[in-house]
Amino acid sequence: MQARDTGALPLTELEVKRAISALAQAGWLRLHKAARALCRNANFDAEDLLQEAFERALDGSRQCSRTLDIVHFLVGVMRSIASDWRKARRRRPEMSLVSPTGTLQEFAIRARDERPAADEWLASTQAASCLKQAILDLFADDGVAQRMLEGIMDGIAGEELRSQTQLSQTQFESKRRLIRRRIDKAFPQERKP
Amino acid sequence: MTRNKDSHQRASLDRLTEALVEDILATSDADLINEAQADDDNGATVARRAFERASRTIALRRLAANRRAARGRRVVGANIRALDPKTARGWLEEYMASHPDAARKVRGALPARDRLSDEDVYGMLEALQKRGVLKERTVDQGPDRR
Repeated sequence: MQARDTGALPLTELEVKRAISALAQAGWLRLHKAARALCRNANFDAEDLLQEAFERALDGSRQCSRTLDIVHFLVGVMRSIASDWRKARRRRPEMSLVSPTGTLQEFAIRARDERPAADEWLASTQAASCLKQAILDLFADDGVAQRMLEGIMDGIAGEELRSQTQLSQTQFESKRRLIRRRIDKAFPQERKP
Repeated sequence: MTRNKDSHQRASLDRLTEALVEDILATSDADLINEAQADDDNGATVARRAFERASRTIALRRLAANRRAARGRRVVGANIRALDPKTARGWLEEYMASHPDAARKVRGALPARDRLSDEDVYGMLEALQKRGVLKERTVDQGPDRR
């Protein structure tokens, strides 16, 4: 009889609950900071995002492998939910039952065009553009940080990004942390609708 | 301004978000705690609260699901033998009509007789009752005529 590879089995719902309950202070902080970062470019609340991720982990709709750190797992779940919520918000489908005559017998279903209306699209684009500029402006006194930010926003990462900034690995990590800390302080709360 | 530019702006911010999250994951526990103390950050409390709310929501959802399942499954507390034979036969026929596989097995197992005896009917209903597959109803209701 073959030995079962228990490492391949996901954590049970009870094990997930125990693992989360046992998180130390730093684990909770890490989760909240990640949630806040994921909400900054969107119109939802970090606490709601956290709650939704916990619910999906606890009800087993998202499963955590035994080899995966529970915080990394939950951050992955939040990423996925945030992405879904952002897409849903951009589409904003809306259906309504309209009764032009005011009777129950006669009504029409109006399905709204899923594409954002021109004014909504313009507003959201402007908001994204303003946020991007506001973030860059935070580092007006730090050319290296600005170059690094622009590189990140252009999709450059890792060693390529580090060599572009001409920083040592330690300096690079410090600069990245400085960027995160400054953005965190400047935008402590997610934007509300 | 084009829609491509819109998606470009968003993609830039998404990439920045991803880099920030990666940095959060890479930061040591001690540094995170120091940052929180320096910034008077109550994020840990907020995250714990979200977890407690989620746990409560899941517990309530499970409770509701269990109640629904119990309602759908539970059987008669009725004494099957107290049914009149016609009603008992009606209950069994109704069960067989909604479970054709079971009906085929019963027909296959039947002896040459073309009809189940009343005793057969009572016995089968009792067996179904024990297995918890009979719909809940009172003896007075008789067969479900829907």
